[in-house]
This record gives sequence, C-alpha cells and structure tokens, in this order.
Amino acid sequence: MAQTATTTGGRARTRGRAARYSAFDIVRRGVTHSEWPRSFNEHELRTTYDVVIVGAGVHGLACAYYLAVNHGITNVAVLEKSYMGGGGSGRNTAIIRSNYLTPEGVRFYDRSVKLYEKLSVDLNYNVMFSQRGHLTLAHNDASLRTMNWRAEVNKLQGIDSSVIDAKEVGRIVPYLDVSADTRYPILGALYHPPGGIIRHDAVNWGYARAATHLGVEIHQQTEVLGIETAGGKVTGVRTSRGNISTSMVINCTAGWASTISDMVDVKMPLVTHPLQAAVTEPVKVFLSAVIVSGSLHVYVSQTDRGELVFGASVDPYPSYSMRGSLEFTEGLAAHILELIPSISSLKLLRQWAGLCDMTPDYSPIMGVTPVEGFLVDVGWGTYGFKAGPVAGEQMAQLIATGRTPDLIAAFDLARFADGRLVGEKGAASVGH
Amino acid sequence: MSPSEHWRIERQPGEVIDRSQPINFTWNGSPVTGYSGDTIVSALMASGVRVMSRSFKYHRPRGVVTATYFDPNCSFQVGDEPNVRAAHRQVREGDVVRAQNAWPSLSFDVRAANQLVGRFLGPGFYYKTFIRPQTLWPLYQKVLSRFSPGGEPPPIGTPHEIFDKRFAHPDVLVAGGGPAGMAAALGAARSGASVMLVEEEYELGGHLRYGGVESLAALASLRAEVASFDNIEVLTDSVVLGRYDDNWVGIVQRSGMWAKERLIKARVGTLVVAAGLIERPYVFEGNDLPGVMLATAALRLTGLHAVKPGTTAVVFTANSTGDEAVARLRSAGVQIARVLDARKGDDVVRALGRGKVTGVEAGDGSTTEADLLVTATGWTAPTSLLNMAGDRPIWNPQAARFTPSELIDIRVMATGGIVGDGSTAELVAHGRAVGSEAAARARGEVPQSVAALTPYPHPALFQSTTVGFVDFSEDVKSKDIVSAAREGYDSSELAKRFTTSGMGPAQGKLEMVNTMAVLAEATDRDFESTGTTVWRPPYAPISLGALAGRAFEPERISPIQSWHNEHGAKNMVAGQWIRPEHYGNPAAEAANVRSRVGIIDLSPLGKLDLRGPDVVKLLNLVYTNSWDNLAIGSVRYGVMCAEDGVVMDDGVTGRLGADHYLMTTTSSGAGNVWDWLEMWLQTVHREWQVTITPVTTALVSINIAGPHSRELLSRVTDIDLDPASFGYLKVRTGSVAGIDDCIVWRIGFTGELSFEIHVPASYGLHVWQALLEAGKDLGVAAFGVEAQRILRLEKGHLIVGQDTDGLTLAYQAGLGGLVKLGKDDFSGKPELVLQEARAGDHSHLVAIETVDPMLVPPEASQIVVNGNDIVGRVTSSRMSPTLHRSVCLAHVPADLAAPGSRLTIVLTNGDRAEAVVRENLAFVDPEGVRLRG
Ligand SMILES: Cc1cc2nc3c(=O)[nH]c(=O)nc-3n(C[C@H](O)[C@H](O)[C@H](O)COP(=O)(O)OP(=O)(O)OC[C@H]3O[C@@H](n4cnc5c(N)ncnc54)[C@H](O)[C@@H]3O)c2cc1C
Repeated sequence: MAQTATTTGGRARTRGRAARYSAFDIVRRGVTHSEWPRSFNEHELRTTYDVVIVGAGVHGLACAYYLAVNHGITNVAVLEKSYMGGGGSGRNTAIIRSNYLTPEGVRFYDRSVKLYEKLSVDLNYNVMFSQRGHLTLAHNDASLRTMNWRAEVNKLQGIDSSVIDAKEVGRIVPYLDVSADTRYPILGALYHPPGGIIRHDAVNWGYARAATHLGVEIHQQTEVLGIETAGGKVTGVRTSRGNISTSMVINCTAGWASTISDMVDVKMPLVTHPLQAAVTEPVKVFLSAVIVSGSLHVYVSQTDRGELVFGASVDPYPSYSMRGSLEFTEGLAAHILELIPSISSLKLLRQWAGLCDMTPDYSPIMGVTPVEGFLVDVGWGTYGFKAGPVAGEQMAQLIATGRTPDLIAAFDLARFADGRLVGEKGAASVGH
Repeated sequence: MSPSEHWRIERQPGEVIDRSQPINFTWNGSPVTGYSGDTIVSALMASGVRVMSRSFKYHRPRGVVTATYFDPNCSFQVGDEPNVRAAHRQVREGDVVRAQNAWPSLSFDVRAANQLVGRFLGPGFYYKTFIRPQTLWPLYQKVLSRFSPGGEPPPIGTPHEIFDKRFAHPDVLVAGGGPAGMAAALGAARSGASVMLVEEEYELGGHLRYGGVESLAALASLRAEVASFDNIEVLTDSVVLGRYDDNWVGIVQRSGMWAKERLIKARVGTLVVAAGLIERPYVFEGNDLPGVMLATAALRLTGLHAVKPGTTAVVFTANSTGDEAVARLRSAGVQIARVLDARKGDDVVRALGRGKVTGVEAGDGSTTEADLLVTATGWTAPTSLLNMAGDRPIWNPQAARFTPSELIDIRVMATGGIVGDGSTAELVAHGRAVGSEAAARARGEVPQSVAALTPYPHPALFQSTTVGFVDFSEDVKSKDIVSAAREGYDSSELAKRFTTSGMGPAQGKLEMVNTMAVLAEATDRDFESTGTTVWRPPYAPISLGALAGRAFEPERISPIQSWHNEHGAKNMVAGQWIRPEHYGNPAAEAANVRSRVGIIDLSPLGKLDLRGPDVVKLLNLVYTNSWDNLAIGSVRYGVMCAEDGVVMDDGVTGRLGADHYLMTTTSSGAGNVWDWLEMWLQTVHREWQVTITPVTTALVSINIAGPHSRELLSRVTDIDLDPASFGYLKVRTGSVAGIDDCIVWRIGFTGELSFEIHVPASYGLHVWQALLEAGKDLGVAAFGVEAQRILRLEKGHLIVGQDTDGLTLAYQAGLGGLVKLGKDDFSGKPELVLQEARAGDHSHLVAIETVDPMLVPPEASQIVVNGNDIVGRVTSSRMSPTLHRSVCLAHVPADLAAPGSRLTIVLTNGDRAEAVVRENLAFVDPEGVRLRG
C-alpha cells in the first residue's frame, strides 16, 4: 500500500499536473473512491539551479510561484530546513489588512489584500480568506489621534478605513464592553471592513502545490549551511544534503534572516524577538470582527471553528526560543477580559511562539544587497504573513527583470544608511 | 428520564459516591438523579444514558471512551458554561446540563446526514471546494461555522467570578498523585523538603483508586503516610499546566472554597513528573460507537462510581489492565461474552451496530453479540512536562510507547508509569528513591542517579485491518491520515495540520501515537523517522478567568483626585492614571491662566530622585544637551533620544545638592525612562555611582501659572521669590503652606510665569486647598489637562508622542538647539551627527496658521501636494482663547518649511483648506517676556 513519500531524497522525479479542486471533483472522487493525487511533486536535489530560495514560508513559496507563473522561471529550488510552513508562516494569527500608517506601506499592503482576494481562484485552493472587518480600538486620546492619522492616510490612498465611535463598535461586536466606566474605556476604533483572517496553512500549501506543478522544486529537511561567493557575487549554496551551484539566492527566512545574511557578511538591522500566541477551546461563533487593542497589548479573532485566537506584541527581549511563557497567558487573559468580560469561563487550550525579525521602523527589507545575486525579502517582523503574495510577486519581478519595482523601492536595505525609514510602528506593533 | 438505578451495582470497596446524598440535575431538560461524588457522566451512565454527544463533523452519536477529564465525547454545556468536562466535573444540585453539538436533539440530529456524505468530507475537503464562485464564499463560511464543535459562549453580562492567584516555593513539586507520585512526595518529605503534591483527580491514588482490594489497601496506607507529613501540601483537582524556564511551574487548582479557580505559580527546587500513563484507544471500524470504551474507563465506572457500563461485554485485552477489567465486569454482573487476547493473536475487526454497539467482529471472522466492547491495547506516556524541560522522548518499540530520554535538566526528574512499569511495591520504591534524590538536588547536592524503572514489554497495537477513528473529537479516521500522506502531507507536522488529528481538546494525548502509527505505516517508515509533534503548554486547558486572576489593572490617582471629583472634573485615562481633563470649560480655564492665575495637578509627572557622584555623567549620556555646568539651585530642560536619534522623552531636571538631582519625565514615559536609565547603569556603566529612586507617587506636583502666580505663592511660602534671587530656571526648597521640604522650581510649559511645586504626597491636598484659599482674591482657579494643552500650543511647546512620532529625530522636532554634538558620546549621537550633516533634508515641525482663522483643522489632517500626495500632517490644533484664532503645529517637508510657505490641508471630512507656515513656533509671547518676568 504505502506510497513512499519522505523528504529525504533518493526518489525519481515526478511530473504531473495538479488535480482540479472543485465541489464536483470532490463528489466524483467520493463516488468513485478514487484518490487525490499528490499535491506536491517529489524531486531529487540537483546540483544546479537558476534560483535558490531559502525558506519555505509564505514568502519563499509565493516568490517561487510568481517566478514560475508570471515569468516562466522554473529552474528554482526552495530549500527548507524543517517542513514547509514550519516558521512564522505556520504559527501566525493570519490577520490580513492594509490600514497602515505610511503611504508606502498602505499601497504595498493593499496590493497584497487584492492578491489575497483572488488567491483561492488563482491557486485553485481555498485559502478561506474571511474579510470580516478589522477594528483597532482606541482607549485614550493619544491612540485615537493615531487612528485618525491612519484613517486619513488610508482614505487618501483609497482604502476603506475610518474612525468610528464606541456605540458603533458595540453594534459591530456586541460582546465588547463599550461602557464608559471600564478601566480602559473604548473611545472609538479604526474600522477597516476589508481586513480579516485567512487559513495560513492553506495559503502555504496552495502556493506550494501550484508552484511545484509549474516545475519548481521544494526541498524540505534541507538546511542551508553556507553561501559561496566569488568576487562579490553569489556562486553557490552549501546545504545539509549537498552543494548547489547558483548565481541567485533569495533570503526568505524571516526570524532566521540574519543568520543567512551573515553567511555573505551582509549586516542587517534585524533583531529576532519571539512573538507568542494562544487559542481557546471552541465555542459557537460570537465574535465577527478582528479586534485589536494597542493600549491593552492584545488582539483576538474567532475562527470559523469557534476558537478564539489571541496575540500580543513581541516579547521584550531578543531570543530564538519558540516556547510560550506563563506570564504571557496571564497578561493576555487579563486584557482580553478587560475587553470582553463575560468570557472568563472559556479555556485556553494551547500556546506557542514564533520568531520575528524586527526592523527599527517596523517595515520590511526587500531587494538587492551589496553582494550581487544575494537578494533579501526579510524584516517581516510580526506582520509579514499578509505580505506574502505581494512580496512574492514583486521579488519575482525583481529577479526576472533585474529592476526594483516601484512598489517595494522604499523598503530597500540602503534606507537605513540613508535615513529614509518607513515608520510603521504606530500601525504594526500590536495589530499585526 | 427516570432516575433508574438499574445500572448501579452493589457497594464497591473503592467507591467515591455517597449513597445517602442524592443530587438532582437535568440532562437535556429531563431530570436525573445521581449521588454526591458522581461525575455528571457517571450519573448519566447510572441512569442508562449511553449517547453523550454528537461528533464534530459527521454528527455521529458518541459515548464514554475514557471516563476522564480528557474524554473526547463528554464535553457538555452546564448552565452558561460551555465545554465542561463532564466525565470529571462532579454533579451539583440543580445543574442544567445539555449536550453541545446536537440539533434539534441528541437522539435525532439533523446534521447526522453529514455521515451520508462523509466520504466527500475527507481531510481538508474545505481547501478543495467553495472556491468558485467567490461571491458565495461568505455564505459557505456561515455553513462551515455551523460545524463548530464547542458549546454556547457565556451570555453577555456574565460576571467575572472570583479567581485567585498564589505564589509557592516548594523544594519539590510532584506532578501526579498516583502510587509513584505519593511515594516521591514521601521520599522528599522524609528528608525534610517542603513538598507540593499535585493531583488532577479529586483524590490521591491514581490507578490504585479503581484497582482491586490489594491496590486499595496499598492506597490507604500511602494516603495515611502522606497525611502524616506536615511538609507535604496536597492539591487535588489541580493540574500542573506547564514547566517554564528555570523550573517556573504553573498549577491550576480547579476547586476550592475561596475561588472558582486558582492559579498557583511556583518556583520549584526539583520537579518530579509522575503523570502516569494514558490508555490508548484502538483503531478499527465502529470504534466510536457508544459502548466501545477503554478498560480504564470500565474500571473507573465500576470501581469509583459503582456503575455497570453494559450488560454483555467483549473485552479485547493485551495487558493486565484488560484482564482486570474482565474480572471486574464479571463481578459487576456484566456477562462476558468473549475475551479476545491480543497476546494470543486475537484481534477486533469491527464493532457492529447503529448508534450503539450490538456486536463485535473478531479477527477470526466470528461475531459476538454484545452491548459493550472494552479495549486494553496499550499506553501513552504523557511526557509533556518533560518536553517543556527540553526532553525529547524516544520511541520504545518493545513497550510500544514513548519514554523519556536522558533528562537533561537535573532539576527535573520522573517516576512511575511515565518511565516504566512495576508492581505497586516497585513503583513505590522507585518513587521514594526519586523523591529523596529530588530533595537532595533541591538542596544543591551533587546529583546521584536513581535505579531505573523499565517498562514491561507490550504488543504494538494501534490499528486493526479496518478503518476507524483516530481522533474522535476531530472526527479524523485512519484513512484520512493515509490519504493526507498520499497527497503529500506526509511528515507528522503536515499530516497533523492537514487532518487536524490531535488538534482537539485532548491536544493529542489520546490521538498522537495512533496518528503517528497510521502515518508511519502509510509512508513505510518506522516510528523514529516519523517523528513526534511537540506538546505545547498548557497540559490541561485553563480558564481565562484563572489566568487573569482577581483584578486586572491598577488605577493610579493623585491624592488630590477627591477634590477634582467634587469640583466637576471630567476625568480622562492617561496611561495608568485617571486625571482631570477639565472642570467644565477648558477655554475659560486657559484664559484665567493668561489673565490671572491657575493651578494644575501634575502629579502623574514622572519623577526620579537621582543621587551620587556620577549623576552628571548619566545626564550627559541620556540627554542630548550638556549638564556639566548646572549649578546647585538651577534646573534645565532636556530631550532624550533613543539610540536611533528618535526623541523618546523630555523633561526638566533640577540640581538640589552637590550630588542630588530631581528628574521629571513625561507622565506616560515615567516607567520607560526609569528602565532606560537603569539599563545604562546596570549593563553599560556599572562603575558609575548613581542611585535612582522613582518618586512619582511620593510627590504631588502642582503648577501655579499666570501673571499672579508669584503673588499667590508668596502668600504661602517662606521661600524668597524675588526674581532677582529666584529667577527663571531656578529651584529652591522650603516650606509651602506649612509643609517643609517642598521643592519649587520656575519653568513655563504654559508660557506664563509659573512655579512648579513638588510636595510630599500626603500633604498634596492640603497644599492644593491652601493655594485656592490664599488666592481667592487673585481669581485663582484649577485648570485641567485640556487647558494646559491649549496654553502650551499657543506657546508652541511640543508634546513628545503627539508632535513627534516613532521616527522623529531631535532636529525634525525643532529641538536642534538642544543637541550638543560636541560633547562625548550620548544616546542617539551617531544618528544625529548623520542628520546634522544632511541638515535640511528632513521634515520639520512648524507652527501654521490657517487662512480662515476660525477653521481648526482636526489633528491628523494630512498635508498634501499634487492632489493626494501626502507630505505632512497636522499634529496639534486648537482654537486659541487668547488669540481667538486657530493655532496648529504640523510636520512639513523641508521645501515647505520656510516661513510663508503655503500648504494644502485635507480635512477629515474631505474638504481642503489653505494654511501658511509661521516664522516662530510660539503664537503667544514668542520673546518669552511673560515666562521670565
Ligand atoms: C505568533 C505570531 C503571530 C503573527 N501574526 C501575524 C498576523 O496576524 N498577520 C501577519 O501578517 N503576520 C503575522 N505574523 C508574522 C508572520 O508570521 C511572518 O512575518 C511571516 O510568516 C514570515 O514569512 P516568511 O515566509 O518570510 O518566513 P517563515 O514562515 O518564518 O519561513 C522561514 C523559513 O525559513 C526556514 N529556514 C530558516 N533557516 C534556514 C536555513 N538555514 N536553511 C533552510 N531553511 C531555513 C525556516 O525553517 C522557516 O520555515 C505573526 C508571527 C507570529 C510568530
């Protein structure tokens, strides 16, 4: 019976078209009891590729997909030291939105939302994008001012985003305590109807499936140990499964990004911090929108299965640890009950952490580096899942054309030396 | 439902029910009677209820499987509380208990039709459908959310009950109160250690509680011995949630007189994990039918609750627990129709029946009629606390279970079933040895090894030749895992995520090993290379209430707050503080300051008392300006920048003595600045002698501002206020309103002549009232934060965090004059040097005047060029009661910063307005005549 399928190589290269997914096909296979074909083709690791992408998170996978689908570049390997989605892309809380603070940020993330809106169809994989509305609460006049600022920038960029009052907040989410006599009264909120949540695994797998069926190779359990250069140019990659020659390496490793850039001595202003999250047991759906409270350092959404998903801001100290802490859950629960007092009997089921590569300005770093052939798509901090599609698309364009697209020009590495920071802290430190 | 006692058997030696105390509750509306000590589920079983729930996806009827907290089929709604573990929760008089996932009723569930289409609802079916048309996805989503397996959320208005927290510092904490755990506690206690013994169930004893007479005898003597030690604290109905770094351990105590739940946080000397073993279900067709249960479930129901789980049973056994179940069921009056012995090669192929077991088909093809099928096919070691201490358990093929590897942290040990097997005497001996070694390690002695306890050999039994459920709560079948693997989700992490096996309420405790076994077989790998998944905390779910505890957030108020409230203050939240925004008419309050005199309560102002010979070095390091020549009796304004040159705080620091300074910070920045200074002192300049004492709440701060402020203060102080001796930016100490040691300095955020006094907090109200009393004829009145904002804006003084943001460098905030690049290194210097070299290239903070003087552009209005290109924004704006026109500060780009530049502002309502950049930031008194008067 068992079709062997491991990631440790040594198997014939399979080719194949992706099966079409549709309700009809589900019924057909149900009736005929025919099996679904493999979603991800199997490959042996070869010794040379045109492009090597390090990291099979949403960024690496999306970049691979757009290279293949938009530019016909398919001699591409995505190398992943554990399993695909094993980094931040499988640990995030999957909030998608575009109501950022800077014009550059708003334009960029808006493109991603647009790509997400049609991603299920593009990939023929239901990524379950639920545009349920996103509320960033203001509990004091300082945060109300920031919300107004964001709303103004958003509106000028054509983004559906506005500041609403407490009554309106209470109408959208009746479970929120919007009374004036709470410790942190809700004065209003930045309301962003197109914001929402998505199934993160589905996005990762959908990209992986589509990319491998276009000919891209994904190699899991393959760790990059070093990058070879000659005369300031990339020549190859050393991996735990052998050496590869290539002239183009893309660093898509988020929390581990500085370890990869160090391999070619490209110093980046990144500090890795853990970010924690937790879920409760499911209850019937009662929370429609995504709720973020910067002052209380929490956010919450409810999945279609009924679990409440909680998150917060990054742990205050740098670390590569992916373990949760007790204090985190205590603070989280206290703050959540401050917002939604009636749910103290709901139980926390699981907590975890992921790694975030924080930049000084809470914006990413994308594009070329001083080493020719070494590109970066990093600095995704606590907010990078939503940017997977646009970053993949734009990085693919950069690789294919050799020119940095306008949409990502502001996010270059050189901005730190030139003092051109793109400040998004006010819009990204708690609400990811 | 009649409270039938048909299923209750005669008194059992270890029963925990009190037959003299009937308890009445309702189940789906029908009355049920159980006994005190019953769990909800045992009471239902005693009344003949067999179907406890409908499954999540296919809505299949489900019954008792484990009869423990982690029973996947026994989560009920009890009153307003969802997801109650009803095989653990004891019955309470009057409880209203309902099944959660059934509509319209448990016996007739419409969605059971999902079973018919079950073959289409394979793993990840939702990824493959509902893709087109996109417009229908929101509708599909509503349908999907109907599948939610949980109970009803508590209704709006449900109060936060009393929850509590406690800290503990036991030398030894034992997780698990079975024989080995009790023995470990005893071993540790004998050598004098303070011990905390934590047991998930209501009583100590573990599997001995539902064992035979010998087990019960052993249990009685262990309990007695435990009770004889004062240094053992026993916590029952309590669970160790997690072990975090440095043996920081969280425990939830679920029942207690004082609170609904209590979270105990313990710093533990040595943690002993004695969590026992969890019995594993077997995978075969029909394994989820009500009437199929584990041997331990049958032993619990009979032994603890005297409930007969069926009439005619087939027992499939691979171990002594299964054998014991045969004997027990027999003595409980259950007819044993057949015993299938896995050790002799027998197998179960399927359970027959619809909605309940009616028969069992064995591996030899024969079928036996039965309404109960009991399986005893092996164990899973709940190693999660050990995982959290860094241990990676190893698969032990002989014992067919994971066992801990070499425990790397010497302060974490394990005993009992989690490490091996043995007779009660052997388990106890091992426990005692581990306990005394744990105590020795807690005392810091060199670790000694303890003789190992090894697991018994056990047949490797996971799945039969048929397809069955691997995860009951997630409705995942073995074939789902196989097809996931074939589709490419073939590593344990991907398979788990794709099928959601192990993601439900038990978090893999029942499901993980079987999932791995099925996956290993499907991919032709052994257990080792299939891997495990990480058990993440918490070990058992914990309520948000217990995590949150009693009070959520402290409130800070000034000692003068009662006066404010009595005088019509409208309060506002400012970080941790609640303080008056105004007293009814902020414009009038501001005008009074300009024309007469006002007083404001500035107690939230951050205040740090700095002492020591090296304070000046510290000030030079954190502020951008120079502090070398600040004379005793003088104060100076300073700006702090982070290392990236961004303005982080500002405030005034005064020199009170040779080595004594008082620093003030912004109200919201008080905590950060203290951290920041300590960071420099503790990590970078440990040789500097500086002592920092935060005195924010030790001093009440009052600002007296306005042309009559000197006159007013002079009436209540002995300090010489003559401007010749007490000039602008000077500080004096003396008595105010009879209170000695007040600190008074002259500064002017409002732009008026003003004195800021810092009074010992307990006299704050007295001084405040004395000022009001003394200044009646001068027209003194209190003013709030809003009036202060107006006044400072008229004067062009910025507020850090409002007129600056997370990127504003000192130069951009117009604070360049305060940056002394010539001095030695200071925080932010490299970046500021760079910015200085590029002067002019950045945005600027400027004062602007709208062309229409009556128009106040809302704060955050954007400044645009070429239509909608954003180049700046209005950071502060108010109508000025002094000038009767709007006054604003704004960030503008360098090319629009010159005085006279015309700006286009987009108002928040979309309208556009014109404005002009002013010469000077100050609208009122740019020369500072009033201030220095
Ligand atoms: C708890 C949490 C919540 C979050 N919430 C949100 C949110 O709501 N919205 C949002 O937009 N973002 C969120 N984020 C951020 C988001 O998850 C990340 O920014 C995003 O997933 C980054 O994707 P990536 O593909 O760049 O990196 P990753 O998904 O982290 O992938 C990097 C991969 O590189 C691999 N790798 C590392 N080193 C090597 C090596 N030497 N060789 C080979 N492979 C290597 C890793 O194993 C990993 O799989 C959250 C993050 C966390 C941790």
